Amino acid sequence: MNGISSGFGAWNPIAWALLFIGILATGFVFRLFGKKGYKRGTGQTKVFLSGNEEPEDSTALHVRGDHLYWGMVEGLSGYYRRIRALHTGVLNDYGAWIIGVLALVFVILALVR
Amino acid sequence: MPLPRSFKKALWVFHIATGSCNGCDIEIVAALTPRYDVERFGIMLTGTPRHADVLLVTGPVTKPMLPRLKRIYDQTPDPKAVVVVGGCGCTGGVFYESYNVVGPVDEVIPVDVYVPGCPSRPEAIIDGVVKAVTKLETLERAGVSG
Repeated sequence: MNGISSGFGAWNPIAWALLFIGILATGFVFRLFGKKGYKRGTGQTKVFLSGNEEPEDSTALHVRGDHLYWGMVEGLSGYYRRIRALHTGVLNDYGAWIIGVLALVFVILALVR
Repeated sequence: MPLPRSFKKALWVFHIATGSCNGCDIEIVAALTPRYDVERFGIMLTGTPRHADVLLVTGPVTKPMLPRLKRIYDQTPDPKAVVVVGGCGCTGGVFYESYNVVGPVDEVIPVDVYVPGCPSRPEAIIDGVVKAVTKLETLERAGVSG
């Protein structure tokens, strides 16, 4: 079999292909042990959500990162409302903010000196 | 139709409490502890009814749990057996005709084995599950697909 053998290891595409085929065949054998009698279109093929009904909108089940600190966001909702309004997503706005803040910093430095 | 080989090796049980006081649930846990150790018989609890052969139901069926119990029963593949553990699930017990209880389990889903007791002893629970195996074997002979 053609391959590459160095002092640090070996690479042989045929060996890898055989390995993957073996893994797939093993998985297929395991799959054969599964139950085949699931009735399609019934509850037997639906997602189990602790007995709850699966919502139409699957995003309702998503747990986002900000759910961890929702209390802080709720407590500071006035601040967040103003900050979010500034995040327009427009690059020109962000550039204007950088220039404006830098100008303010330079003015303060000039006054302090 | 014969049951799959994996089924004969182990009986997977899904436990659902439909309004239990947790007394029967504690006894089910006791059946899993080293003193009784039902896993040595291949009986083990599974986390989803979609993998279960047996439903183990405790408690009377409260109104909020009614649709959930029906849904879980529907999600359990055939052949399946339902074992009710405890007097409340069997008859309603002390919650009989209570305002927030639909009734005993057999008013909602078909029940195969009743294990009375308040709470049921682990030996009785194990006996009930073994009786459920008998029912599943009957279904096997009847040709219910697995």
